[in-house]
Amino acid sequence: MSDAKAVADRLVKAKRLNALLTPSKDLRKSLAAQEAAARPTGVLYGMPVSVKDNICTLEFTTTCGSRILEGYQSPYEATAVAKLKAAGALIAGKTNCDEFAMGSSTEHSAYGRVLHPLDKTRVPGGSSGGSAALVAAGAVPAALGSETGGSVRQPAAFCGVVGMKPTYGRVSRYGLVAFGSSLDQIGVFGRSVHDAARVLSVISGRDPRDSTCEDRDPLRLPTVPESLQGFVIGLPREYFPAELDPAVRRACERAIRLIKELGAAVREVSLPHTPYAVPTYYVIAPAEASSNLARYDGVRYGPRFNGSADVRSLYRSTRGQGFGAEVRRRIMIGTYVLSAGYYDAYYKRAQQMRALIAQDFRNAFDRGVDLLFTPTVPSPAFKAGEKLSDPIAMYMSDIFTVTANLAGLPAMSLPIGRVKGLPIGGQLIGQAFLEDEMIEAAYALERVVPATEEA
Amino acid sequence: MTTAAWETVIGLETHVQLRTKSKMFCGCATAFGAPPNTQVCPVCLGLPGALPAPNGAAIGLAVRGALALGCTVHPRSIFARKNYFYPDLPKGYQISQFDQPLATSGTLSFVSAERGFVTATIVRLHLEEDAGKSVHDRFPKATAVDLNRSGVPLIEIVSGPDLRSPAEARAYLQTLKQLLEYIGISDCDMEKGSLRVDANVSVRRAGETALNTRTEVKNINAFSFVEKALTVERDRQIALVESGGSVTQQTMLYDSKENTVRPQRSKEESHDYRYFPEPDLPPLVLTPEFVAEQQSELPELPAAKRDRFVAAYALTREHATVVTSSRAVADYYEHVVHAGAEPQAAANWVMTEALADAKDHQEQLRVAPGALAQIIALVKGGTLSNQAAKKVFGEVAAKGGEPRTIAEALGLIQVADSNVVAGWVTDVLGAHAPEVGRYKNGETKLMAFFVGQVMRASKGKADPKLAQRVLEEKLAS
Amino acid sequence: MSVSRDEVLRIAQLAELDVDEDALPELVDNMSRILDYVAQLSAVAANGTVKAFVPGPDAIRFRPDEVNPPPLAFGPAEFAPAFKEGFFVVPKLDQFE
Repeated sequence: MSDAKAVADRLVKAKRLNALLTPSKDLRKSLAAQEAAARPTGVLYGMPVSVKDNICTLEFTTTCGSRILEGYQSPYEATAVAKLKAAGALIAGKTNCDEFAMGSSTEHSAYGRVLHPLDKTRVPGGSSGGSAALVAAGAVPAALGSETGGSVRQPAAFCGVVGMKPTYGRVSRYGLVAFGSSLDQIGVFGRSVHDAARVLSVISGRDPRDSTCEDRDPLRLPTVPESLQGFVIGLPREYFPAELDPAVRRACERAIRLIKELGAAVREVSLPHTPYAVPTYYVIAPAEASSNLARYDGVRYGPRFNGSADVRSLYRSTRGQGFGAEVRRRIMIGTYVLSAGYYDAYYKRAQQMRALIAQDFRNAFDRGVDLLFTPTVPSPAFKAGEKLSDPIAMYMSDIFTVTANLAGLPAMSLPIGRVKGLPIGGQLIGQAFLEDEMIEAAYALERVVPATEEA
Repeated sequence: MTTAAWETVIGLETHVQLRTKSKMFCGCATAFGAPPNTQVCPVCLGLPGALPAPNGAAIGLAVRGALALGCTVHPRSIFARKNYFYPDLPKGYQISQFDQPLATSGTLSFVSAERGFVTATIVRLHLEEDAGKSVHDRFPKATAVDLNRSGVPLIEIVSGPDLRSPAEARAYLQTLKQLLEYIGISDCDMEKGSLRVDANVSVRRAGETALNTRTEVKNINAFSFVEKALTVERDRQIALVESGGSVTQQTMLYDSKENTVRPQRSKEESHDYRYFPEPDLPPLVLTPEFVAEQQSELPELPAAKRDRFVAAYALTREHATVVTSSRAVADYYEHVVHAGAEPQAAANWVMTEALADAKDHQEQLRVAPGALAQIIALVKGGTLSNQAAKKVFGEVAAKGGEPRTIAEALGLIQVADSNVVAGWVTDVLGAHAPEVGRYKNGETKLMAFFVGQVMRASKGKADPKLAQRVLEEKLAS
Repeated sequence: MSVSRDEVLRIAQLAELDVDEDALPELVDNMSRILDYVAQLSAVAANGTVKAFVPGPDAIRFRPDEVNPPPLAFGPAEFAPAFKEGFFVVPKLDQFE
């Protein structure tokens, strides 16, 4: 009983961050019930894991940070959540996020922004800002988030925690509310590489309910290596541009030195189509989103905004008022790029560019590189409100992360330093379905990198 | 208006529900008639986070349909989203196929009253999911939505603009229905909605080759409405053009009560479905083994069966067509023949008595093939008159049993003993001397009268053919 | 490649979104900027031979034709905003089909 209470207490203490959407009363009640029912033989027995509010749970509502799903109780749970429970974990509430996972700061939530745990004037990143903040604040050891363009890695970097995105198809998307279907994956935050990896292993594996989930066994975790002897780490020059924040550059250079000291060979590579990654992403993701969000129409679930004389008014007022500005903007862009006359110029062209981006990675890996190392984000956590006036400025935050989503590759961020107290993240990008190599390298780096030291 | 000066050009889009136990993208039941919204799940409700999982049996049935239509089956095809908003379309898009469909380039041949044997092209056949049902007259000022049907597997079959009259459209549809029923992939019941049709109609002056603006005719809810609806639309277009107007591309809804068509007003915006490949589904890849397996599951098709019956059983084409109208009837007929019945007689009995009885008894062929063969033999051997045989048939149909036994029990066995018949003949001739005189003077048509009298005297038991022979002998002397 | 006010309204209609008159200019501006930004993709020559890349399995798996729907902890009556006699209820279409 005391564990559930302690968990609840820690989460309630972190309330000021506005990271948790679940009311304290509901949280306490549910945790107590879950603890009683939890399987003692599970590998995650008793571990509290918070879940981003765009992942369906039977415990607690699923709002996706939106008014259009205010109060929505899902009648089914995501496969990933079911697997957590089967492993004995406790679902420790639902976390705040950018509405429908669209954003890079969690400022686009209909339920208020999330505060950065170390500096309340700053954003924790997004869209999984709530999950990142709770783990960083020590309220839970791990949390689920989701990735479409970097929504786990970027907040992990901003908040100074570990954030992992699996290979596309490694973790079932059944129950993850779709944003960009060909990009989406459930990801994991952890205090350590081990915490994050353990949870990722549990939620991974085949699921007949998701046709894009590969028919594979769950991820097997590697052991912590002695060194990185035999590893070849590639440094893509496009990820170290001249404009890179000097502190970020210093932190990365320090990490690279440590990687070499661990015995890895380090090599410069080129991913020439990188400059096109963000525009490619901002065609494909909104296009898929515009279609995925068509189901939110007030007919079958969620609130209705306005009784209405006829069904089209019902749609338009529900969607016009239920969706926030960023979501509406992306739906509009997505609808436009798919519409007659524009499909070839935008969507089709973006899918071709995507192929070239994926090919860049294959070329690098084919030349004997095992993993790539890059900064996760060009600069540390920015101030709330700083990037709201220009949507493109916000999009540029994803510049180092979207490529892994476009190519479907596993990637992760781990803390590699600080600048004026703000965390900096270093990113590893791995080969498809070789998460174990990526995690192995992360284990080694984590042991030696001075994550909380100024760079 | 002379329709002869005009040529009608019709293409049909047919939606056919496939006979599977579960839906196209989820394991919900497809059974018809369940209480509303009881055969639903996160997937077919379009709940947040749900994903499609394709039904292998539906894919197999679709391939069979494509093969039966002589289509090119593409080993790789792509599912696509067709995006539009409607209350019974839960996801706000339908999972269908667009520019890489399952099959293309088939044919369907049928008999046209005007043109004889016609081969229509099948442009494409693709897989998709059905939408739910909207009921507009249950609640005032509101629409009731039932999603039981949402997600049921469909194939869409699109013909070329190859039909030249409403009657041809009907014939095409009838032939298509028969073919799909034959191969067992659908119930093809328009009343239950497992077969639905929309038509594209345009007119042009006889001799023109270019296609003019066409309209789409929807809401044709029964077979009997097909010809009526298309006739109404054709006439409307002809009248419009003849009076100096021009046909605008629009959707017309058929109203069966008034037998009219009216434009569908609401969809003012042209349909921009924004098709794109379904990101929740990888490509649909068919192995050669899978396609071969579907081919091997195909039965003999109606046209081939009909031709074989003509050759093997010396039936006329018309009779063969009736007897092969369904697989059940065709199989029944062949069993009757294999049980020993003479093929032509068997055909007559099947086309008349068996089918008439089936019509009143939920299409059941109640008389076992062996029993029918026996009845036919009894008539051939003179033991039963045709009339008596029909009575026996009726008894066997209702209660079963062995035909000969029943005939005896009912006292219907014909008397073929010439002595006994001669006795009756003598009595009849004796009783009708004036008629005998008239007959001998040349009124040979009185034979029918005499035969009738013998039948009466024998209470129907005399073999009429034998009676006539005996009468002729006696009257000749 | 800016987008016009009329086009934005047409797109809003297709997407069934109400657009506030006051918010329209900013929306037009935002959309124009975003579309201009992503238009840089067209600067790269159209290469017909490059096939689209889609991650995930190469082919769909065939689900067996069995009646075993994914579970629902409770039915539509519990979560529908308007439900009567077993049906979802919506205001009637302006002109139903």
